[in-house]
Amino acid sequence: MRNKFTQLTKYLLLPVSCFLLFSFLLKSPAYKPHFIFPYKKAGLTERQAAAHLLSRFTFGATPGQVDEVVNMGLEKWFEQQLKGALPDDSVNSRLAGYDALKLSNSEIVARYPKPGQILKMAIADGTINKDSVNKSDKKEYREQLRAYMDQKGLKPEQELLRQFINQKIIRAAYSNNQLHEVLTDFWFNHFNVSITKNDCAQFIPVYERDAIRPNVTGKFGELLLATAKSPAMLFYLDNFSSSGTNSNTDMPGNQQMRKIIAARMMNDSASLQTVEKLKKGKKAQGLNENYAREVMELHTLGVDGGYTQTDVTQAARVLTGWTIYPMDDKGYGNAIKKVIEKVGEDKLVQRGFVHDGDFLFAMNRHDNGEKTVLGKTFPANGGYDEGVKLLDMLAHNSSTAKFICKKIAVRFVSDNPPQSLLDKMAKTFTEKDGDIKEVLVTMATSPEFWSSTVVREKTKSPFELAVSAIRAVNADVKQPYQVFNWIDKMGEKMYFYQAPTGFPDKGQYWINTGALLNRMNFGLAFASQRIPGTQLDLLALNNHHEPESAEAALTTYGKLIMPERDLQQTVKRLTPLLTAQGLSEKVEGAAGKTQIPSQPDMAKNDDVLMNTDVKEKPEKLGKGFKKNNGNQIQYAPGNNNMLSQVVGIIIGSPEFQRK
Amino acid sequence: MVSRRGFLKSGGLAAFGISVGGVPTFIARAANNTKLFSPYKKNKVLVCIFQRGAMDGLMAVTPFTDQYLQAARPTLFMSAAKDAKTTPLIDLDGRFGLHPGMKAFEQLFRDKKLAIVHGIGSPNNTRSHFDAQDYMESGTPFDKGTGSGWLNRAIGLMGHDATPFRAVSLTSSMPRSFYGDNQTVSISNLQDFAIQMKGNPLGANMAAKSFEDLYDQTSSGLLKETGKESFDAVKMLEKLDTKNYRPSNNVVYPASALGNALKQIAQLIKMDVGMEVGFAESGGWDTHFNQGTELGVFARNSMDLSNCITAFWNDLGTAYQDDVTLMTMTEFGRTVKQNGTGGTDHGRASCNFILGNDVSGGIVHGNVKSLAIENLEDGRDLAVSTDFRSVFCEVADRHLKINNDQVLFPGWKGDRIGVMKS
Repeated sequence: MRNKFTQLTKYLLLPVSCFLLFSFLLKSPAYKPHFIFPYKKAGLTERQAAAHLLSRFTFGATPGQVDEVVNMGLEKWFEQQLKGALPDDSVNSRLAGYDALKLSNSEIVARYPKPGQILKMAIADGTINKDSVNKSDKKEYREQLRAYMDQKGLKPEQELLRQFINQKIIRAAYSNNQLHEVLTDFWFNHFNVSITKNDCAQFIPVYERDAIRPNVTGKFGELLLATAKSPAMLFYLDNFSSSGTNSNTDMPGNQQMRKIIAARMMNDSASLQTVEKLKKGKKAQGLNENYAREVMELHTLGVDGGYTQTDVTQAARVLTGWTIYPMDDKGYGNAIKKVIEKVGEDKLVQRGFVHDGDFLFAMNRHDNGEKTVLGKTFPANGGYDEGVKLLDMLAHNSSTAKFICKKIAVRFVSDNPPQSLLDKMAKTFTEKDGDIKEVLVTMATSPEFWSSTVVREKTKSPFELAVSAIRAVNADVKQPYQVFNWIDKMGEKMYFYQAPTGFPDKGQYWINTGALLNRMNFGLAFASQRIPGTQLDLLALNNHHEPESAEAALTTYGKLIMPERDLQQTVKRLTPLLTAQGLSEKVEGAAGKTQIPSQPDMAKNDDVLMNTDVKEKPEKLGKGFKKNNGNQIQYAPGNNNMLSQVVGIIIGSPEFQRK
Repeated sequence: MVSRRGFLKSGGLAAFGISVGGVPTFIARAANNTKLFSPYKKNKVLVCIFQRGAMDGLMAVTPFTDQYLQAARPTLFMSAAKDAKTTPLIDLDGRFGLHPGMKAFEQLFRDKKLAIVHGIGSPNNTRSHFDAQDYMESGTPFDKGTGSGWLNRAIGLMGHDATPFRAVSLTSSMPRSFYGDNQTVSISNLQDFAIQMKGNPLGANMAAKSFEDLYDQTSSGLLKETGKESFDAVKMLEKLDTKNYRPSNNVVYPASALGNALKQIAQLIKMDVGMEVGFAESGGWDTHFNQGTELGVFARNSMDLSNCITAFWNDLGTAYQDDVTLMTMTEFGRTVKQNGTGGTDHGRASCNFILGNDVSGGIVHGNVKSLAIENLEDGRDLAVSTDFRSVFCEVADRHLKINNDQVLFPGWKGDRIGVMKS
């Protein structure tokens, strides 16, 4: 036993010492961190501190990563993560085939139309007879639609969303810039939009890529503005349709134009009533307060942030006309496109219109009157700029500093972060112009971050659990959507959370009986390679040495998977169970005799919200496409040996649920 | 420790069942508190079914004497007149006719167990599925920021012990109605409620035992407590043998998603394990194209809905019918006028169904005016004359004995319409 252990240490130490040498060479002698982490005062060793740092600012430590961070220096590692500029070859090569991720919103609209739109197009083109919908043989009908899509070069929206969901898992598992991935997840959830809302689904990939991702460590105000102008948010919280009424407008023809636009712009049912009202000759009262309310309640000030219903209404008036630049002839904004073509963009810009990427400030739909929000007056005819000023004002409000800092602390420190920490963070937020990077540094250099009352006290979300398992054993995930299905089962269907609040970020929410059992089952399925397309080599982690007993397996792999955790109890409790005479043989024997049923856990496509016959059909077509797109489901042979069982138990154990 | 060793010595892996005395911990605890042997027997249960996609209330329960409706729907209007060519509507009261697909509902209506509310809907006139469902499930039709769902708040107001099965949604993801601070469970199949290793039951047993041990000793209170409840639940379901469940009264559930969901809800109710709210979904109601009349998409959906609900009711039998009320809901109704593709578009009011022994049944409640254009909302839709909160509130209050409308539906003040017996 002792011999074996020495041998083992040698093997473990070899790569570590190589790394030491390497990092020593890299270390510039002049380097001095700009801050110091006060973990020693909290009674943590450097290795424990590194493990804590990794558990909070990454999606989980990879084998040997604690040593890497210790050797590099904890502060330096953190600075490097804040920069987020490490090369990411692994991610890039894994994402090489994901063509949809590079497209612009208008390219996406042209290539991945919504299911309902495909049907409309096919009917309009005469490819499908409208009388045959719901009547014809389903298979034949699907074939028809498929042929039509092939001919037009169209792809199902589901394929776009599949690529998008997969990339999140790939990046979280394999990116070297872990903190940026964690923050992308955090800020997306803060500024939540949802695939369950049909209108905004196809714009969500670009939302994350262009509005969230580039701003995750920047100034909060810039992040806020980017989300406000993004089509996904404009659709999700309805601001795209919000318009004011101007009696004092002096623009010739404006009245008429506004009517046309208001009537046709949104060929969505929500606007029908506006159309009806126009027909009846009533004034168009197109004010929609949804975004204005949530931007204060959820994005900036917080529900107790000191605003009133009047502030909401006034802010909504400020934001009227903030909408989406038309993208193609078939989709949204066809009417305004015609207006733009007719009048000319230059002339519209002279009239106060603003075109910025997918964003359009439609001056003709903007309420020109004077408004007052939170005591600040926005004089009449403020145009686009007053909206920018409003958001800037919200970003710099003291309630916002408190609200945002608390949310950050809840994510990174504790479900109930101490007030002393929040005060420090809010002070930095205010003094540093909402600089997220600075707030994170303040947080991580505060003693509260390292306190024994918070270490290990956060519960991993299902997404964090799955990705941390992948990282802990260097698993190779070839079919991320299969992992997504498990994350869904455990209670976190990413990108599908319906409410603008985002997932509640606390253990109480994630842990319930059904979800907890699924976490344990995930551990077992994962370690025994029953998740299709996920491969792992457990022996390689231990330099191809098979542990000689269940107890040895538990000790060795416990340390590898959960570095710097106290595993004494776990080993003590489990050992008698795992080493019961003949039990392991029985388990392996029984497993050897049984064929693993190759039941496909097909990528689910339950459009829960709609679940409609008409809209479902093209999506079902999407399933059909999967067979041809080079992503066949692969079935792992299944591995029931004692080692995978032990690792499965470690991953499903309570200790591994904590971070 | 003793029982654990004993467990191993006896080689009792296969007998991995109910712990000491055969009673799950949370039930034993509740029994101890209440001094009752079966503390959760006679618990009141509310079962909700969300019909996603917006059901055409005017086709489900047709005001068949309305000449405007007949004119607006040349190929969709169905008559209650008995002629040989088509199956007539089921005449409920001389004015409203039940779609023939919902034949199973007829007897329940005649027995005064089933009530219908017509003209029900949201005060927010959005015609977006997403928004309308969101508002209906959060229970706050003008506030998107409400984090919790109304059924979650209902559980909180009842204030009973948290049991693993207090609120169960038979759906793969948690419905918006369940969002919130009170623990709920969403599971598409009760059989998933187990430690699973395909093809290796012995290994699964060993893993289960290991997990139970580990969760029992963790220092995290949340994980420890929930772990305990999880294993209690597993053992209970194991005993129940959900796979081989035989419904009472020779009931056969339709082999549909809704049928499966309601069957499992019935199983849980009959276990007396503290269930208070059940949730299921029914899909396919967004009938823009070729809605059909006595045959077709709508007929198929309404047949499934009514057959599933009736099977559920009969399966409960007299032993449990007093304890259970079932209510359907849908986000909005559909246009009075049929569209150019043999269907109907998004409208305003629809109808819903409420079933139970304390329901004021056999009546079409609500206020449906003649469908002349001047009576329509925005000149096109059946007007909302009953706020959904009025009905949800009355059902929850009466059946679940909740008396705090302001928490259940914040900001709502309104009258009851008498769908429940007083």
